[in-house]
Amino acid sequence: MADPVFVALAVVTIGSAIAALELRSLVYGSIALMGTLGGIAGLFLLLDATFVALFQLAVYVGSIAVLILFTVMLVKRELIFKKIEDNRRKFAGVGLMLVTMVALGAIFIDSGIKDITTDEPQVDFREIGSDFVTYYWPALILMGLILAGSVTGALVLARREDIEENGQRTS
Amino acid sequence: MSVIAPDFRLSGFIRSIFDNAFWALLLANLVGIPAIMMVLFYIEMPVIDGELLTPFLAFTWLADPSRTLPIVHAFMATDLFRVMAFPGFGFAALIAAATIFVERKLLAKLQLRVGPFYCGKIEGILQLMGDGLKLISKEIIIPAKADKPIFWVAPVIFVATAAAFVALIPVAPGWVVADVDLGLLAVFAVIGFFPIITILSAWSANSKFPFIGGIRALFQMVSFEIPLILSLLGVVILTGTLNLSEIAASQSAFPWIIFLPIGAIVFFTTMLAELERIPFDLPEAESEIVAGWLTEFSGMMYGLVQLGTYLKLYAFAALFVVLFLGGWHGPMVVPPFPEEILTEGIVMGPVTAKIPGLPLFTQEMLNGTLWFVLKTVGVIFFILLPRGVFPRIRIDMLLNLGWSKLIGLAFVNIFIALGLLYAGVLGPGGMLPQ
Repeated sequence: MADPVFVALAVVTIGSAIAALELRSLVYGSIALMGTLGGIAGLFLLLDATFVALFQLAVYVGSIAVLILFTVMLVKRELIFKKIEDNRRKFAGVGLMLVTMVALGAIFIDSGIKDITTDEPQVDFREIGSDFVTYYWPALILMGLILAGSVTGALVLARREDIEENGQRTS
Repeated sequence: MSVIAPDFRLSGFIRSIFDNAFWALLLANLVGIPAIMMVLFYIEMPVIDGELLTPFLAFTWLADPSRTLPIVHAFMATDLFRVMAFPGFGFAALIAAATIFVERKLLAKLQLRVGPFYCGKIEGILQLMGDGLKLISKEIIIPAKADKPIFWVAPVIFVATAAAFVALIPVAPGWVVADVDLGLLAVFAVIGFFPIITILSAWSANSKFPFIGGIRALFQMVSFEIPLILSLLGVVILTGTLNLSEIAASQSAFPWIIFLPIGAIVFFTTMLAELERIPFDLPEAESEIVAGWLTEFSGMMYGLVQLGTYLKLYAFAALFVVLFLGGWHGPMVVPPFPEEILTEGIVMGPVTAKIPGLPLFTQEMLNGTLWFVLKTVGVIFFILLPRGVFPRIRIDMLLNLGWSKLIGLAFVNIFIALGLLYAGVLGPGGMLPQ
């Protein structure tokens, strides 16, 4: 029998994911998205990965969801979206999703993942950290450079030249 | 002087007391005792001193003061007590309430005013109670076009999040509600929820002043979270742990503020911004946008937000104490519990009362709590002080300060910590004792 906590978390995660797509109000949709991300954090907690779970909360729920919410609030929905009610497309989408999920699930279950048992203790985050700065340091530096490049790119894109030419403050 | 009750008669007053006592006794006999018995029979009772706590034993113990202490002891070991009373909500709410009163009085003294004065005989000491009664009795008005579910839920979630923050703070050795192994990360995760609640409640009010205030709060909190996290990394580097209890325990010889003063300054500044206090109180700027994101709250909803704000203030001050000021460490000033009471009992003339279960608290716990509260009150004082001194700063100055100056200083702090670690001064195997 499945763990009731796991079932509850799965229902919350999937239910709020569906709500995030289907809700009319964009703000409620982004709140539902927060529920999805929080549910995933709960699943990480169940897997004894507290470190990942807390980062999931701090980064995804705490920052990215806030950015989405912020963007949604500053946008007038009618200007972007025109709602087209098309039931055939909707049911086709749901059917496609079901087929994909069943196929993926069948592959996963058939792959023998249920038979794996291990006595290894959970991986300590300190080990991951020390591995990162010793053995995997090129990957770490590469990630750092990519992040720095994307932040610089975002700053360049966001710069407003019309204000700077007039000599006004931009900071 | 006005007379509150002109028709006052002493005899009537005494009769009303007897009346009330009669009804209380009657209700206790008819309803109360059966209810207590039901609770005692159906709830699994703990074993105390080798005896199961049956209703009869419970009543004899309640009647015999010398035997109630083991029950109190057993109750204090439960999670319920920790969450509701001592290191958790009750303790924090008490400090928060005291902070509100002291803040008003302190600001008044700084500005040569009197402050709360009439409520209560001494220096308006009952002002807070009066304010609370007023807030409870006021009508809760919800704007007609507000988004009602979010508007109702936001203050409650705000208080709950602040309480979750409080639950992570260790007050004395072993006295913490949630001793999480990754406590500091949990603090960052909890702090991340405040901007969401703020912006949602601001948006749901559907009014322009709360919305402007909410947007400002979002800018401020999200951008100051980065120097906040960076400024605490120095402590984590030197202690090698994220557990707040272990961080506090590592400062038995010296507090980290001696070696990481820059980190402490950066953390204090970001703390002021996260708490929306002057000089960073743009989200509530009362002279520009009424009351910012609190504008549409009325009655007890405003009271809840205020409670959450001051709980958050206590939690941040306590976090500063735990990380930089040595937590509960301090010279032992609490005297040891007198030995003869344990062995001989209390002798009062011919009567000797033997009281088992004493002492209720260990000497270390009392001393730790005393030092922790003293340090926290000191930090809270320094948080309150700028309100009487500084003007509000502009939003562009605020963002400039957060993004360029504080982040740079936080990196300087991290390099100082790394230098101390690699020079072998501090940290594991360092020269100085920990």
